[in-house]
Amino acid sequence: MHEMGIALEIARIAHDRLGPAAPQLVTVGVEVGDDAGVEPANLEFCLEAVLATPPFRGAKGLVTRARGDVLQLAYLEVDDGNPDD
Amino acid sequence: MAIRTIEVRERVMARNDELAAQVRDRLSAHGVTALNLVSSPGAGKTTLLERTLATVGEELDIAVITGDVQTQNDAERLAAHTSRIVSAVVTGGACHLDALQVLTALDAIDLDRTQLLFIENVGNLVCPANWDLGEREKIVLFAVTEGEDKPLKYPAMFKRARHVVMTKTDLLAHVPFDIHVAMTNARRVNPELSFFEVSAVRAWGLPVWFNFLRHVAAAERVRA
Repeated sequence: MHEMGIALEIARIAHDRLGPAAPQLVTVGVEVGDDAGVEPANLEFCLEAVLATPPFRGAKGLVTRARGDVLQLAYLEVDDGNPDD
Repeated sequence: MAIRTIEVRERVMARNDELAAQVRDRLSAHGVTALNLVSSPGAGKTTLLERTLATVGEELDIAVITGDVQTQNDAERLAAHTSRIVSAVVTGGACHLDALQVLTALDAIDLDRTQLLFIENVGNLVCPANWDLGEREKIVLFAVTEGEDKPLKYPAMFKRARHVVMTKTDLLAHVPFDIHVAMTNARRVNPELSFFEVSAVRAWGLPVWFNFLRHVAAAERVRA
């Protein structure tokens, strides 16, 4: 199940981007192409497992289908912990 | 709570591809060609390599990196046929080799005394398709004991390959497998594919395969 390897790589990129803010991660947006050889439901399952481990505190993966062999980390959503304006 | 969105737009495979580029640069500097053998489990990668090492292993200075989920059995089988380096990578559960594993394995290989490097990937027609290992090309082994529609079921691997080795052709008389239908299916996925038809056990079709390897090795030496 190579989705787990891909989930770990996505977590590594997220950690690199967020640094000390990694625990505030709430959503990981991933684009997966039809020809990417990745099963979206499996990837979401693996992301949930990986993002439940430190330095993360539980975040969900949201996969969006795309054309071709695209496989990219599109965006991260973090909870700044500030009250809504 | 206030949710902030951070645009990333980073290819997930970018780091692996950077490492694959390092592998490619290192091999190119030494005039070494890497061929990444991929297939379903049991298609005959190790048997083809045994025959290849026994016949042209010394002539073409062949080294091998084997990838297996568990055991070093394939590496031990191959080492019996050559004094050349056979480097085993046990992935410990992972379903494919990655570029970092290959880059690390290169440290055990005398690249100045190597022309051809075979990477025997983990038997799996899905995952290895996505991982660039720094190879010159992926070569798919497709056994006549499989289904003729394998290329249609696993198109990514056949799209990324240039050559297909039809293996176990000595069994064609015993299995309901139409090799022409199978090759047509593969060409529907990738019209550029070229084919070899071999039986490593009976040594059928191997001279054509060996000549291809000689040509590939010579072409890389010219480039280097």
